[in-house]
Amino acid sequence: MNLKINQIKKIYGEKTVLSIQQENLVFRNGQINGIIGPNGSGKSTLMRIIADLTTATSGTIFYDNSPLDDDLRKLLTYASQQAFMLSKTVEENIRYPLKLRNYSKVDQQRIAAEQLETFQLEAIRTQKAKNLSGGEAQKTALARALSFSPKLLLLDEPTASIDPQSIKIIESALLKRKVDPSLNTIIITHNLSQAFRICDTLTFIHQGNILFTGLPDDLMHDPNPIIKEFISFN
Amino acid sequence: MDYILEGFVEAIQLILSFDPEIYQIVSLSLFVSFTSTAVSTLIGVPAGIFLGIHQFRGKKWVSRLLYTFMSFPPVIIGLFTALLLSRSGPFGQYKLMYTSTAMIIAQTLLVTPIITGVIFNYTSGNGQIIVETGKTLGAKGFSLLLLIVTELRATIMIALVTGFGRAISEVGAVMIVGGNIKGYTRVMTTFIAMNNNMGEYSLSIAMGLILMTISFITNSILYKFVIGDLDELKN
Repeated sequence: MNLKINQIKKIYGEKTVLSIQQENLVFRNGQINGIIGPNGSGKSTLMRIIADLTTATSGTIFYDNSPLDDDLRKLLTYASQQAFMLSKTVEENIRYPLKLRNYSKVDQQRIAAEQLETFQLEAIRTQKAKNLSGGEAQKTALARALSFSPKLLLLDEPTASIDPQSIKIIESALLKRKVDPSLNTIIITHNLSQAFRICDTLTFIHQGNILFTGLPDDLMHDPNPIIKEFISFN
Repeated sequence: MDYILEGFVEAIQLILSFDPEIYQIVSLSLFVSFTSTAVSTLIGVPAGIFLGIHQFRGKKWVSRLLYTFMSFPPVIIGLFTALLLSRSGPFGQYKLMYTSTAMIIAQTLLVTPIITGVIFNYTSGNGQIIVETGKTLGAKGFSLLLLIVTELRATIMIALVTGFGRAISEVGAVMIVGGNIKGYTRVMTTFIAMNNNMGEYSLSIAMGLILMTISFITNSILYKFVIGDLDELKN
């Protein structure tokens, strides 16, 4: 299933922070779709609208041609750069979404074990998640987000300010998940080299408007001076 | 200085003598304060969470009002309650003035803003991320509420102990609406104030020691239950 963004607009007070003119901006399944752009360009606002953490002033979002409603939103999950760890152990954090979805204890244990292995968290599985380092917390947040096999994975700078080894583990976990053709991953990143490493498509947002959407290689040859400047600074 | 020392010795003797009047006063104090704290909890915890988590027009004014109520002098609360409950007041027909119910009402009015304010203060800064995390992991309705309460349990405990501490130690409100009637509405604080006025220092010190012991016990309970969750307050 694909995610279609249709003329989404967000206005805070009198300021328009997001104004997507495109009628059908599509994020396809089985791909990692990157969103890039300068700070304050509206990337996170778009992601928060998709995740229903804030409401759009106008416009619609479709998931496989149906408006994205509460039922469909059960299939999505969102992880931001400031992962909030529940006051539980690492393993209990990973099992939490499974518990909410009434998975059996056996399945919870099995899936948690898989996630702990994928994200190399076995050694700290019984540790209180509140006491984790930034990289460990981010890996736990992602393991938790992926535990229930979401169909839409929204990641807002998941590897910002964490150690290179954790970044590598997270990237390889995302690439491993890409084999699932029904999973649609949308990731916001400031790291252009990371975008090129893992993303199949890139969307460039500037001052709430989309200036580019397409293949990463094409972005490099885009004539828009704002994009050229952004690339030159990376 | 001798009279203070003598006061302490007499106070300990009095406590160990198991004077029924002393223990009746202590139990009434605990009953009134626990009940008012419980009622305030039922109102203040959901109110604090709701106000803290939601963004709405006028939130700044609500917080200013809340913080003003948190520091309201007990005598003013007592006076306000007395005006409501007095014979010619709007609730005079229920004849609640000079009863333990009136004391519970006054203390509830005093404690509710404190519990609400403490929780509001924490959730304003940290509540939103708990809600967002819960929502994006699939929690909603009761499961989301349960998650919020679980994650805020240290703050809720602190709010309750602060509220209880305020209730059990205040004298102005219960003096006005309770009247310090022997065997009926006399509580620890009014007993101390009265005996101090009469120069009966040993009795005042004895009750003061009991009050401090209760305060120590409640704080110890807070320490025991909250110490493991202090990280929540750091985040």
